[in-house]
Amino acid sequence: MGALAATALTGAAALGVGAIGAALPRRLCAALTLQAVGIALLGVAGAAVLLSGDAAGAAFTSDLAPGLGIDPLSGFFLAVLAITAVPALVFARAYVPAGPAPRAVGALTAAFLLALAGVLVARDVTTFLASWELMTLVPAAAILAARRDAAVRAAVFAYVAMTHVGGAGVWIALLTLAAHRAIGDPAALAAAGAGVQTLVALAALVGFGTKAGIVPLHSWLPRAHPVAPAHLSALMSGMMIKVALYGLIRVVFEWLGATPRWLGVTLLTLGVLSALGGVLWALVQQDLKRLLAYCSIENVGVVLLGLGASLLFADAGERLWAAIAFAAALLHIANHAIFKVLLFLAAGALERAVGALDLDRMGGLLRRMPQTGAAFLVGAMAIAGLPPLNGFASEWLTLQSLAHLGFGGPLGIALTGAVGLAALAMTAALALLCFVKVVGLVLLGPPRSAAAAAAVEAPAAMRAGMLALAGLCIVLGVLPGLVLPPLAALAPGGDRVPLGHHAGLLLPGTGSFPGLALAVALLVLTAALVALRGTRRAAPQPTWLCGQRWTPQLNWTSAGFTKPLRLVLDSVLRPRRELEVVYDRGTAQAIRYSAHVPALAETLLYDPTVRAGLRAAALTRRLQTGNVRTYAAYLLALVGGLLVLVASGALG
Amino acid sequence: MTAANAAAGVLQVAAVGIAPLLPGTIQTVKARLQGRRGPSPLQPYRALRRLWGKSAVDPEGTTAVYRLAPPVVAACLLSALAIVPVAGGAGGWGLGHDALVLAGLLALARFAIVAASWDSASGFALMGAARELMFAVFGEALLVLALLLAALPAQSTDLVAMADAAAGTAIWAAPAHWCAALAFALVILVETGRQPVDNPDTHLELTMIHEGPLLEYAGRDLAYLQWAAAARHWVVLVLGAELFLPHGDGFAGRVGVLTLTLAALCLLLAAGETVQAKMRILRVPSLIGLACVVALAGAGSWIAGVGV
Repeated sequence: MGALAATALTGAAALGVGAIGAALPRRLCAALTLQAVGIALLGVAGAAVLLSGDAAGAAFTSDLAPGLGIDPLSGFFLAVLAITAVPALVFARAYVPAGPAPRAVGALTAAFLLALAGVLVARDVTTFLASWELMTLVPAAAILAARRDAAVRAAVFAYVAMTHVGGAGVWIALLTLAAHRAIGDPAALAAAGAGVQTLVALAALVGFGTKAGIVPLHSWLPRAHPVAPAHLSALMSGMMIKVALYGLIRVVFEWLGATPRWLGVTLLTLGVLSALGGVLWALVQQDLKRLLAYCSIENVGVVLLGLGASLLFADAGERLWAAIAFAAALLHIANHAIFKVLLFLAAGALERAVGALDLDRMGGLLRRMPQTGAAFLVGAMAIAGLPPLNGFASEWLTLQSLAHLGFGGPLGIALTGAVGLAALAMTAALALLCFVKVVGLVLLGPPRSAAAAAAVEAPAAMRAGMLALAGLCIVLGVLPGLVLPPLAALAPGGDRVPLGHHAGLLLPGTGSFPGLALAVALLVLTAALVALRGTRRAAPQPTWLCGQRWTPQLNWTSAGFTKPLRLVLDSVLRPRRELEVVYDRGTAQAIRYSAHVPALAETLLYDPTVRAGLRAAALTRRLQTGNVRTYAAYLLALVGGLLVLVASGALG
Repeated sequence: MTAANAAAGVLQVAAVGIAPLLPGTIQTVKARLQGRRGPSPLQPYRALRRLWGKSAVDPEGTTAVYRLAPPVVAACLLSALAIVPVAGGAGGWGLGHDALVLAGLLALARFAIVAASWDSASGFALMGAARELMFAVFGEALLVLALLLAALPAQSTDLVAMADAAAGTAIWAAPAHWCAALAFALVILVETGRQPVDNPDTHLELTMIHEGPLLEYAGRDLAYLQWAAAARHWVVLVLGAELFLPHGDGFAGRVGVLTLTLAALCLLLAAGETVQAKMRILRVPSLIGLACVVALAGAGSWIAGVGV
């Protein structure tokens, strides 16, 4: 057994012991530390495989006998899992013991991490599907252990139901692949014909797409992610949907053989839908964690744009850009995992401090919780795609890929690239609008509730987890060029593309993005301008309000800030408003106003589906009259029908 | 580095000082067109000198976000000046010359000033900020589409290569170039906050867009922000001239033609402000959307090989 396998197995064992330890009384913090060590060891093994390029353990097999192994792509995902899970577990050391059902949540955290790692290292269908189902069920159990109210149970039901119905696609795709002995062997499926290939591609899109939260299969995601304990929300949004993308990448890029062009266009289209849809509905959310969950859908869309572009480049024979677009998608997967875990952890810390997640009940928290606030600010700027943070690096790469798709090739493909480019630019602007609003409502301005005014800074362990992730956002934004070549090498045929090693992103056909130089320039210029400005300041004055005194009612709200956009996009968002005036003896006593933006996918897609299903069920119920004579008639009709069929020779 | 690039580098540094002349010229020409004598084109410099001598004021209860915003905005625009080539050349500042990085820097500046508006909790600042970001949602899509069109002949998003590819007369045979120029004209209006998108002369808080978030600032903070607004004029007008309008021959010729083009663009903006009233805010996105369609049609015509 090699050193790598030993490291990985020790890591898995540590996770297992950590799970048992967490369930024991009074061992929770030590168990969480052990879990962090375990997942870190797994990550080290993954990173070693990624950097060396040599797979360890078993290879992919179409047999049903269990096999475990790590190849560079699994290694990349394992490394991302470790990078995000270790800070999340450090955070959990202070977060879980003070929360509900700490021992169950602590043990299930390790089980969840094991399931995630299991999907990544599975080399056969049995292990993959078993880990896949565990990965779905364990967070559901953790949510139910921590919260027991009816709304949460309904959300968990929607989550489990949707991911299982959609998850059938995963089973169909993988079992079909195994039946054609095509797992790990792209030539096998090509021999099976285009029909089978289409079936596998569609089944994988539906199966993995549901789990990844691709619009329009996303409806469960904004319900389930916000109700979990913060560190599990973080891992669900940060890692679980990425593991679904891992499955999609495996099937589409490695096992499908020569991918048809429609698949690339489909991925781009779904990417545009998810990116724009996710961020638009994130904008109109009132609950911070729900907003973050919608935003995950947006980022899955951005990843899909990179993957779709990569497929189309490969189809056109442009190996270099196929590899760059693939690397853009992987880099965005890593970046999004990092800042989304950071933001969910920060949301958990803020919820503990303020007691609520309503955006209009926070405010002024940068002053009361400076370190949590600073980490949150960095995460928000990264997710808004601002230079010089990591979100900008991967969005820049994706934008460049789409632009280069527009530079040539068939008219339809090039125009798809141009539309994708415009949509991604729009998404970035919407994300900026969304997160500057969140930063403003949560961190800046006056406190918007008594609880926010009395908030205190989070415990040291929670701060450490968040600050480490904020540091990663900066490092990956400043030095994205260091990770680009190993990621590009993961693309099919990507190990032969010439990409030099630079700190910045210096690519042919671009004006280059030197992250470090840009960060230094911005930092030095800002410092120089601050010094030049001097310290001469008059005494602080109240904000100008045309001479009125400021009162809390004058606070700008979340809904107010997005009002111009909601008016412009009225036909897409379809906001609902209800005004209720209570009259008593001719005078209005009370006015109640409520407004919300329903999820378009639910009003257009899910509600009609559910209604049709219920109507079909009602029709079927008419057959069941409860009258014995009716059932006897059914039997007679059946026998008669069979006799007719036999007589006509239809049954042979 | 060639002599032309070194000279272009000097011009990029000089742009820090020249930029306020652009809005100054527009104001002067506009006043003349309206039959007023108006201020001299040097008025922005006088305003900056006056502000430099005054002390800054913080609204009560603000944090470092409010105080850092003006230097961050100015630093973004200074970096943007280094990225935008002048007369087809640029000094070796090590920041690259990528069109999309430029878009990112402008977005960072926008984030900083809007975050500062939230910090001051000023209703007028936030009203302007919300509108500006709403425009930006559509404006950003138009900006990248216009840049894509300009990048098509060069097959690169390197601004220096894009400027070189726009030289000569052959490019004007392609309808795509006309579409690109049209689309970018609207980008100029949105980014500089000129009529019919925004009225830079307004003193009524309720109608402010770009001016709104600046309301609370005073002294050197305001000087930075006003300089940044002027630098934004420089960035988009020079880009417009370099990527979408005719160039001269040789470095001196290019500088000469660039100067004339900038003067002509200022004249056009002033004339536009004179004859055109401000649009209803909610109509602006349809206008930008129309320009996006024009840009996409241009991209289609280029890829289909019309006039290439």
